[in-house]
Amino acid sequence: MTINSHYHHTDAQLNDELVIIEAAKLNPEKFAPLYNKYYKQIFNYLYQRMDCKETAFDVTGQVFLKALTNLTNYQFKGVPFASWLYRIAHNEMMQLFRNLKDKRAVNADISDLKFICEEQSEPFFEEYLPALKQIISELDEEDLQLVEMRYFEKRPFKEIAEILNTTEGNAKVKMHRIIEKLKVKIKKIKL
Amino acid sequence: MPTKFNIERPPISDDEINKNKNFDQLLKQFKNQSIAKAREDRTWWKNKKIVYRTIIAGAIITCTVTYLALFNNSKNNTTVNDKLTTNVLKPAPIEKFIQAPSTALKQSTAKYTVNSNKDQVITHNNSQIKIPKNTFVNKQGEEIVGDVTIEYQEYHDAADIIVSGIPMQYDSAGTKKDFESAGMFKINGTQNSEQIYIRAGKTIDVEMASQNAENKFNQYYLDTIAKKWNYIKKDEAQNIPQQKTAFANANKKVTPTIESNPKLTTLRNQIDVLIPKKIDSVKTVYTKKIELLPKYKEPNKPSRATGRPNFVLDGNYNEFPELKAFDKLLFEVGDENKNYNKDFHEITWSDLKVKEGPQKGKNYLLELTYRNRKEKLIVYPVLEGADLEKAEKTYSKSLGDYNSLLTKRNEQEEKLKAEMLAKQTAYITQQKMLEEKYKKEKDLILAQMQQSQANQLQSQFKTMDNQTKATRLFTISNFGIYNSDCPHARPNDNSVRPIFVHNSNPLNPNDIYVVDHSRKVVYRLDRSAERVISYNANSIYSICIFQKNKIYLSNKESFAATISENGNKFNVTPISESADNIVDLKKALEL
Repeated sequence: MTINSHYHHTDAQLNDELVIIEAAKLNPEKFAPLYNKYYKQIFNYLYQRMDCKETAFDVTGQVFLKALTNLTNYQFKGVPFASWLYRIAHNEMMQLFRNLKDKRAVNADISDLKFICEEQSEPFFEEYLPALKQIISELDEEDLQLVEMRYFEKRPFKEIAEILNTTEGNAKVKMHRIIEKLKVKIKKIKL
Repeated sequence: MPTKFNIERPPISDDEINKNKNFDQLLKQFKNQSIAKAREDRTWWKNKKIVYRTIIAGAIITCTVTYLALFNNSKNNTTVNDKLTTNVLKPAPIEKFIQAPSTALKQSTAKYTVNSNKDQVITHNNSQIKIPKNTFVNKQGEEIVGDVTIEYQEYHDAADIIVSGIPMQYDSAGTKKDFESAGMFKINGTQNSEQIYIRAGKTIDVEMASQNAENKFNQYYLDTIAKKWNYIKKDEAQNIPQQKTAFANANKKVTPTIESNPKLTTLRNQIDVLIPKKIDSVKTVYTKKIELLPKYKEPNKPSRATGRPNFVLDGNYNEFPELKAFDKLLFEVGDENKNYNKDFHEITWSDLKVKEGPQKGKNYLLELTYRNRKEKLIVYPVLEGADLEKAEKTYSKSLGDYNSLLTKRNEQEEKLKAEMLAKQTAYITQQKMLEEKYKKEKDLILAQMQQSQANQLQSQFKTMDNQTKATRLFTISNFGIYNSDCPHARPNDNSVRPIFVHNSNPLNPNDIYVVDHSRKVVYRLDRSAERVISYNANSIYSICIFQKNKIYLSNKESFAATISENGNKFNVTPISESADNIVDLKKALEL
């Protein structure tokens, strides 16, 4: 599995970002570079979990409006600004689903599901698809988030931990437990 | 409600994501939200200082107002007068610089999609716009990548100019002159509805078709901020060998970009991504299924003893199941063992091991150990006498079983392969069908787009004189309005204060345009000044007026008749006003 590394920031990049954030706290117009930098990432994050493109665009707008409104409360914790935006995005999205009494969507490619099976040393057949979809859909939100970020969005554990506001070790342990659960269920699938 | 699980959903393009990105709107929302929040914020009521100051200020104002009301009535009158004076002197609203006289009579602007990263030539009727690659930047000065939309419109005669609302007066060293035009155009560029700009140091060549081949014209650029035409250079008409029709050129135009059509994108995704993935997946599934079929091993044929020296080994053959079927096996020493001698049989070996030999299943490696001495021999399992006969019978039966199982397995494998092939063939057929559908859809969409462009061109063609006599080359470094013009002083030998009448009813027009057919000049009478038409008795004129939503015309004969009688009452006739009727206006003006 190729892990996406666009999220990773060097210390210099983090410092540059911090300068922009501090400037934007005083003048909202200085928020533009952060908006341009993270718009696509946040939209993709939301659209990965939603069914409607237009709603995903609307929520993306809301996320940035909320970020700009609460920017003065933002405190730098040595991680990219994106992790804060992702948390806002997740909260906004879950709030929307609660309001609409709707359920979130899951989006994956066959290759992602194939990889999950192969990691459990189980063969993957297309006939498995309905059962696999069922197994993943039945995961609770926290577990689903982890599977989604790791296997469908191919994020490194470091990034997952920062977005979920936990430690990298904790994220790995949780992931291991989810895999064990999945393993049992996948083994039960019969052609 | 169950969670919706989508597989292989097509991704959203970067273009579409960028299209929805709008920082200005975010900023606006943020500002509105801040204002609303500030308005809702009532905490200032809790500030005692502010409350006390407000009460004191309120009391002072109340006392002052009461005092003035009771003891100073005369000042009250002055206030009323002041109010009236203020109303009278209120300045008139500033007029727009470019103001079309009619909202209904619109000229269609041609839109062309071009790839900004390639050299491009747009053919518009008989004109050409040559755009070098990497010409455009956004408002931040960053290079534009991908498709951009170029909007282009030409104005060739009085009707085009009247409808456009573009002012045609030129200030030549303090003297106001009217333009005679050899052609004018407006050009603009956008990407995703956002304004783009021509990069500093880059230019676009516009070869504008002109109906006038004379060389008396200059090139001008309309500065809409300074509200004046700026002289660029002397214009030189380039004669063209023959007139080309707009329809002939329609086929040479920039091919419309249709790949981004959502229907085609979905089909393409199915053909190029989804179906190949399915084909691949079928192969993976069936390969795995075939791998999972039971595997059978051919039984070993017992070998007859050749008389070479041999060893009899006691023990189990768990490690070598192929030997388990045989009783009383002998292990003959192969001729290849150069280290063998007869003494080996005299030694009581403390340990011996049997391992796989160089020819798997056929020979074995016998390791003999006695204290520090180690010998290795390649041995061959053989049988003799009754043991051999018994083994041969067993072998014959095992071989029969093996063959029947193998046949069955091969049949299953063939069946699976046939299923795989059938599924793959079905997908390939589906892929071919979709490819055909894609081609048909593409042709249909292309035809529709070309038809639409042809219609647009035809409509523009109608508005343009067929007699293109020359081309005029503009090298532009900014989007905007450009003109090939010759300024003329307005005649001052005769003048008339016009009154316009239709069916004996006087009209009060909003706009009056005077068309000087002899000098090919059109000008609008100044709204704020007294409306006087200056004319030359030897020239031919017509007048076009706009009142509310109607257009009236005093044609050449009617104008000449009024002037010849030294009259100022112009009988005008209405022409219908609708979006298509610029052609009627041209006809009525006899252009």
